[in-house]
Amino acid sequence: MSSSDAPARAKTAGGGGGRITRTQLRIGVGVIVAVAALYAPYYYGPAINQDLSRAVYFAIAAMGLNLLTGFNGQISIGHGAFFGVGAFTTAILMDTHDLMFELTIPLAALTAAVLGVLVGIPALRVRGLYLALVTLGLAVLFPFVGLKYIEGNGGTALVRPDRDGFNSLITFLDNDQWRYLESLVVAVVLFLVAWNLTRSRIGRAMVAVRDQEVAASTVGVHLARVKVGVFALSAAYAGVAGALSVMVDGAADATDPVLAFRNSIEFLVAVVIGGTATIAGPAVGALILILLRRETDGLIEGKEVLSPAIFGGALIAMIFVLPEGVVGGLSRLARRVLPDREGGSAASPLGPAPSAAMTNEADEPPTKEHS
Amino acid sequence: MNRSVNRGLLALLATLLLVTSACTSRDEDSSESTGGEGEGGSAEGIETEDCLTDPASEIEGDTIKLVSSYPQSGLTAAFAEIARGWAAYFDQVNADGGVEIAGNTYQIEFEDADDEYNPQQTASNIEELVGQEGTDAFAAFSVVGTANNLNVRSFLDERCVPNLLAATGSPAWGNPEFPWTIGSSLTPYTLEAHAFADYLEENQPDAQVAMLRQADDFGDAYEQGFRNAIEGTDIELVAVEEYPVAATDVGAQITSLANSGADAFFNGGTLLACPSGLTAAQSEGWEATTWVSGTCISKTLMGIAGAAGDDVISLTNLKDPQNPKYAEDEAMVAFMEAVEQYRPNFKGRELDLENGIVGYGWTQADLLIQSMEAAEAPTRLAIMEAVRNMDGLESGLLIEGVSISTSGEEDPYMGETFSLIQYDAAEQYFEELGELIDLEGQTRELTPDELIAG
Amino acid sequence: MDLFISLVLTGIGNGAVYASVALALVLIFRTTGLLNLAQGEMALFSTYFAWKLTSLGLPIIPAIAITVVASMVAGAVIERFLIRPVDGPGKSPLNVLIVMLGLFLALNALAQLIFSTDAEPMPKPWPTVGSPGDPTGRDAIIEVLGARVSWSTIALVIALLVECLLLYVLFQKTKIGLMLRAVAANPESARLVGIRASTMLMLGWALAAGLGALAGSLVAAEQRSVNPGLMALVLVYAFAAAALGGFDSPVGAVVGGMIVAIAEALTVGYVDALSGIALAVPFALILLVLLVRPTGLFGRKVVERV
Repeated sequence: MSSSDAPARAKTAGGGGGRITRTQLRIGVGVIVAVAALYAPYYYGPAINQDLSRAVYFAIAAMGLNLLTGFNGQISIGHGAFFGVGAFTTAILMDTHDLMFELTIPLAALTAAVLGVLVGIPALRVRGLYLALVTLGLAVLFPFVGLKYIEGNGGTALVRPDRDGFNSLITFLDNDQWRYLESLVVAVVLFLVAWNLTRSRIGRAMVAVRDQEVAASTVGVHLARVKVGVFALSAAYAGVAGALSVMVDGAADATDPVLAFRNSIEFLVAVVIGGTATIAGPAVGALILILLRRETDGLIEGKEVLSPAIFGGALIAMIFVLPEGVVGGLSRLARRVLPDREGGSAASPLGPAPSAAMTNEADEPPTKEHS
Repeated sequence: MNRSVNRGLLALLATLLLVTSACTSRDEDSSESTGGEGEGGSAEGIETEDCLTDPASEIEGDTIKLVSSYPQSGLTAAFAEIARGWAAYFDQVNADGGVEIAGNTYQIEFEDADDEYNPQQTASNIEELVGQEGTDAFAAFSVVGTANNLNVRSFLDERCVPNLLAATGSPAWGNPEFPWTIGSSLTPYTLEAHAFADYLEENQPDAQVAMLRQADDFGDAYEQGFRNAIEGTDIELVAVEEYPVAATDVGAQITSLANSGADAFFNGGTLLACPSGLTAAQSEGWEATTWVSGTCISKTLMGIAGAAGDDVISLTNLKDPQNPKYAEDEAMVAFMEAVEQYRPNFKGRELDLENGIVGYGWTQADLLIQSMEAAEAPTRLAIMEAVRNMDGLESGLLIEGVSISTSGEEDPYMGETFSLIQYDAAEQYFEELGELIDLEGQTRELTPDELIAG
Repeated sequence: MDLFISLVLTGIGNGAVYASVALALVLIFRTTGLLNLAQGEMALFSTYFAWKLTSLGLPIIPAIAITVVASMVAGAVIERFLIRPVDGPGKSPLNVLIVMLGLFLALNALAQLIFSTDAEPMPKPWPTVGSPGDPTGRDAIIEVLGARVSWSTIALVIALLVECLLLYVLFQKTKIGLMLRAVAANPESARLVGIRASTMLMLGWALAAGLGALAGSLVAAEQRSVNPGLMALVLVYAFAAAALGGFDSPVGAVVGGMIVAIAEALTVGYVDALSGIALAVPFALILLVLLVRPTGLFGRKVVERV
């Protein structure tokens, strides 16, 4: 299989000769995206800003899932549960302990990570689709446990902390604007963490475990530590996303048993339509997903029942048109237009090296190990 | 190299952040200036000092805009039928010239959004429709679902935007901390439990009761309400089984309940769990005096139960469109004609006039319009007060003799007068049983405090 | 009647249902190595179709037969036009997952638009006792050694046994079955000996769609109605059953289905602490089994080569 020279190449980043054109392109795109991301909250109204903030926290969860699935090859359909645990940690701490929102974020990450470790340990033995199934069980169970045990507002499994607790330091901005910017700041920090991680020794170990587990262990990669560690980290990302969702949406909610499952699946969708194992993919995927849902909702007047079908159809169409995801597809296009033999691993948030890892991913699909 | 790119990027982001936030700001025209200037508390009790909008300002123009959020797609899309009923009613009001409030006439404009029964979506729908400043709509109306309403309650309350006739029977709508939210003519769930306890006391005073309930707040209201109601009687609750939300098959729960030896069965199942409970009881050969949830009396659900639903008891305050007694009823005929005329197609759904919740929606619209007409001024405060102080309102589809009253903070509950009904499976409708039960003004007393304060 | 026996009987009825859907999942897994997320909604669409036929006056048994055949055609079409373009060596299985999710959402919404948004009474293809006002009649009951056994349980178990027998004959005794197995075992070698893998994949999907249609119609008949949420939880249980038994083992699907359903029924009956969250038990069970045998009770162990 084409495999593990991709990450190795990633390490030698930015060394090549073609870097002027490609790197410039990347920096250019990076600047445009940064400006757009920062200007957006001033341009749009509260409703769109809320959707953008949603896309941001969705992107965080998807980033975490991408670490696990894209880079480490473990599939989870249970991240909706980690997300929910993070959300409830924040909501409950704020509601009953009057804790400041920002302080709850690390705690939400921690609770989710602990749960992540608990799931990660059996994942050492259970793999591929079987692991997906165990995590599915987690996602399906979570809301039922919530419905039974959480006594939130009106006795429901919905905890909505007082909005006053959200009073911000940034007084010159409207609520929707600073919520967006705060989410964005958290996302950028976590993005940089993930980015550096995937390019570090640990990142290479993760990919090695994904591609050739047995081989990786023979060359001294501590399998258990890497796998459980990635699971915990990935869960922590989902937990932070959950915490942010309390700020953006106002509440932690487990009243709808379909929702945790839907979140779990949609995190995966964001990863895939953005571009698996590309570092920017999940963010792009999350944005597309949220906007797509907004646009398809009630699209055909008088046929509202059909909205999910339009959404589903759009997803299928995206996969048909861009099988490598948006970022994967764009970097392939960039490679074609701006040829760069050196395998363009130069660092940039947008067009990451791992298009190479992407092809590799396709050769060695994580779910297929039993077929 | 990488490190420097990193730093450069960080620096760039930071600079951009500072620059953009320093020089552009939208807050010149934002909501902050509009806050805090309410009329300073009304005589009747709604505190308006902290309102972010002025609830005593009069409606500008000649339309009143109502907004709503409810499932229009997904697994619970059937609730959209409620909106068919109220939409048709408002269409008719508009066609007849509009609603008159304190001498002025207004048209009713309404806008709704699909939330698929997801409370988070409900919140963003309502926040978008009402606007952060609370000025894009006059009031929210007939939002479906308990958690869904809870999730918009504080947003609307802070802005003093009325949340009218919430389409759920949770007793939480009596919480005095949220005066801008009020329930609908649906009987509070705890009263239902009381009604069954009272019925048993009269007909089966030493009943052993088994209860099926949903594993959430809805089930909790039934269980707590029932335990509260049987205190000091010889009735005993011998078994309770919970089923998970969205379950369509409760066979194992019923097997367990049937084996408890109970001779009365409180079927607190809603949606398909309800007929499943009835048919499973039938398969078990379990003979018991059976109550079904007031949310289960629809033609669809009882139709599925079929003969298994024979003789079950429940309650309602609305006329059953399938009851032949109402076939010629003037109000029923007018209602059906109007819905057929104005809303034959609705959200891609087929018209089924015998579906009772269409009539429920119609009735809520009627109650709202009557309250508006009784309001002293075309303001949010006056209309909210009118809804909170309904004085024996009557409506065509309410059972003869039922009237709807509310009384400020003391009694914001509407569906307190109702009739017991019994299902006739062969004829496929609910027969009204005996005289009306009047628990007017008693919900607060008959409901455990923690269910209201939630 | 003894509570234990009643609960086990309830479990067996549900188990037959989970097992039928799990069998369909296993069929697709064996031929394509994929778990079909849309299996439940494909079955739901078929079931609404069967209901529509009966509401047009067709008796239930021919209605189900027609539905099964039509579903097989539809299954093959779905494989050919929606799955194949994104599936195959060198393509990410996650893409197929997204297409399946799209199908999942689309089929549910389309079923609501085309057939009905409501729960509709589903006639029963087994002996019933009719009474006025009862659209489907109630299941006939027979007493066996003092235990009340409902005809729905008997019919569901018989249907499951027939399915198993047919699959066994198909896979073990026919040439098509041999080719199906060959493709599942090793697509490359199968192609070398002249088996058209693509046809076999379509056949796998067709069989699964047919099985799903049958299972869906029977679940609906047992629950008396077909409704948009009919398959949601059933699919979760079927996944659990397949995982417990091993994704590539039909026997595992059947045993897994029974274990999951009986464990759940007994939990409901005896463990009050888990009231409302009995679903935890099957999943705990799966976790335990997978920790001991990572490929399920009957799954084949895959040797990994470096």
